[in-house]
Amino acid sequence: MKILRMAWRNLWRNGRRTLVTVGAMTLALWAMVLYTSLMQGMLGSMESTLLDVELGDFQIHADGYRERPSIWERIEDPDAVLEALDKTGLRSSARLLGGALVASGDASTGALLKGLRPDRDAQVSDVHQRLDRGEWLDPADASGVVLGYRLARTLGIDVGDELIALSQATDGSMANDLFRVRGVLQSLSEETDRATVFLVENQFRSFFALEDGAHQVIIRSGEGQTLDAAGEMAQEAIAASAPEAEVKSWRDLLPGLANMFDSAQAAVQVVAFVVYVVIAIMILNAMLMAVFERIREFGVLKAIGVSPRRVLALILTEGALQAALAIAIGLVASLPTLWFVTTRGIDVGQLGGTAIMGVSMDRIWTGAVSPATIAGPVFILLFIVGLAVLFPAFKAARISPIEAIHHQ
Amino acid sequence: MLSRVNRLPVGTGAALAVASLLSAAVAAAQPADPPLDVLMRATDDAMRGDSSESRITMRIKTERWQRELRLHVVSEGTETALVRIEAPAKERGTATLKVEQNIWNYLPKVDRTIKVPGSMMQAAWMGSHFTNDDLVHESRYSEDFECAYRERPADGSGHWLVRCIPLPDAPVVWGAIDARFRAQDMLLDQAEYFDERDRLVRTIRYEDFGPLGGRTLPRRMRVIPADDADEFTEIVYEEHAFNVDLPAGTFSLRSLRQ
Repeated sequence: MKILRMAWRNLWRNGRRTLVTVGAMTLALWAMVLYTSLMQGMLGSMESTLLDVELGDFQIHADGYRERPSIWERIEDPDAVLEALDKTGLRSSARLLGGALVASGDASTGALLKGLRPDRDAQVSDVHQRLDRGEWLDPADASGVVLGYRLARTLGIDVGDELIALSQATDGSMANDLFRVRGVLQSLSEETDRATVFLVENQFRSFFALEDGAHQVIIRSGEGQTLDAAGEMAQEAIAASAPEAEVKSWRDLLPGLANMFDSAQAAVQVVAFVVYVVIAIMILNAMLMAVFERIREFGVLKAIGVSPRRVLALILTEGALQAALAIAIGLVASLPTLWFVTTRGIDVGQLGGTAIMGVSMDRIWTGAVSPATIAGPVFILLFIVGLAVLFPAFKAARISPIEAIHHQ
Repeated sequence: MLSRVNRLPVGTGAALAVASLLSAAVAAAQPADPPLDVLMRATDDAMRGDSSESRITMRIKTERWQRELRLHVVSEGTETALVRIEAPAKERGTATLKVEQNIWNYLPKVDRTIKVPGSMMQAAWMGSHFTNDDLVHESRYSEDFECAYRERPADGSGHWLVRCIPLPDAPVVWGAIDARFRAQDMLLDQAEYFDERDRLVRTIRYEDFGPLGGRTLPRRMRVIPADDADEFTEIVYEEHAFNVDLPAGTFSLRSLRQ
């Protein structure tokens, strides 16, 4: 208790030095909390756009579809596949894919039609929550379609307008039909934004005269299940119903992007490491100064019989107090900042829907807050302060009183 | 497709102009090379008239399905053409209008007209082995290609083989075309289309030569894609007339919808 009081008093004997040290720690903590939150937010939103909306954790295609996508390469009995997957508890949904020319007025372009059952698909994809305007598919409105925002812009259409699709049906005849735009999606990925039209499964089947089969089954892995475990489970489950089909995880489907996520995590840590090293040197410097300026003082303490352990404890306590102050101020300061970046976010819309390797960043870049957002920077700060203060503290504790008193 | 149907194909009786030249050549045991520019121009003009009207049966066979369409085709000059499906009933009225470099499709089922975008030019036309691009490009052997003899016939029943390479700025998607002419009458009876890497993409065969629209022309042509020898698109001329009177407004978006 005495040591705590002494440490506290010592701090304010040179208040300016203490304030500078505490200020540096505070700023470092605040910046790291903000940085962690923003990076978590960006990676999290991209990953969720990618997995929750676009890819799922796994996809099953008929063997050969991925090399040469064609309306003919189908999983023959998707219902049996879905049923088998249901038994394992993995969530799954089938999609039908087919290319078509879509047009409105004089504007036309190629697009990928994706047919799905809205109720089932909602279990594997959040795309139904990512509408910019209008409504998601409804089986009751068979001719209603939902499309990417850039496709809508290319065709000059919006919710309520009509859309013509033209392709080749599986019987060789010309597939053509008139649809109505029910909804327009947010920016999700290059492919979805520019060239995807969602429609209900039955409409897809009648358009392409396709009675059975599906081109893709999307699977989500279970809670707390590793990707590999879920993959094996899925592969085993479909062995009977679709032995030819291949189960691919999103990492296999988009290895470039998977690598990017991994290296982005690593990049975050590298930047954090560099920042912390700078902070550590700064704090070490402040602590060294604080101790060496007061060598004579510690010499006197030793001379009147204070044990080295207590000197050590005194200096450590001073460091701890400063760190505690910095943490308190830093956390208070970061609360409004975190509130701002998580609720309001940073508008990066001027960048025009920036996409990183085909996955769109949200127009509003929001931070994420988890216990780790705050605990990570706090623990690292404590660790650095501890390291920075130990060396000067030991030095002071072991100094001989005579030398210290003669120290200039 | 139109360009192939109506114009590009076939060395013909229109080669009458060259006939006298050629007959001398053919008569000889080791025939001399006919002048290439005259031959290629005759080939280009074989199907060309101020206007034309024809009824065509198109048979398409692919790995998965086959079907037969009856088409009514009218054309004017080299730039404009209108093709309408007359049968089967399900697709009756579906029509394609081509004016210069543009293609529109009319779809009676939805009563809408679609303009085909540039990105779809390599897509199949009406499910056939012709691409939309085939409709648009008015390439002429005599103007867009540099041609040279490659093989010569040993006798009067053989073939001349002419390799044509597109000129650098010609609007041609092919890397080369090998045109084969019958030695007996210098009519084009086969054309092989190669890509830029000199791989065969497709072959067009011209068959059943006979009178058509007052000229001697192949009445059947067959497109065979190189990557699948079992598939083909076959076109048979049921009727054909050159220099017909077409009412004004035949080639308008309005008449497309009719």
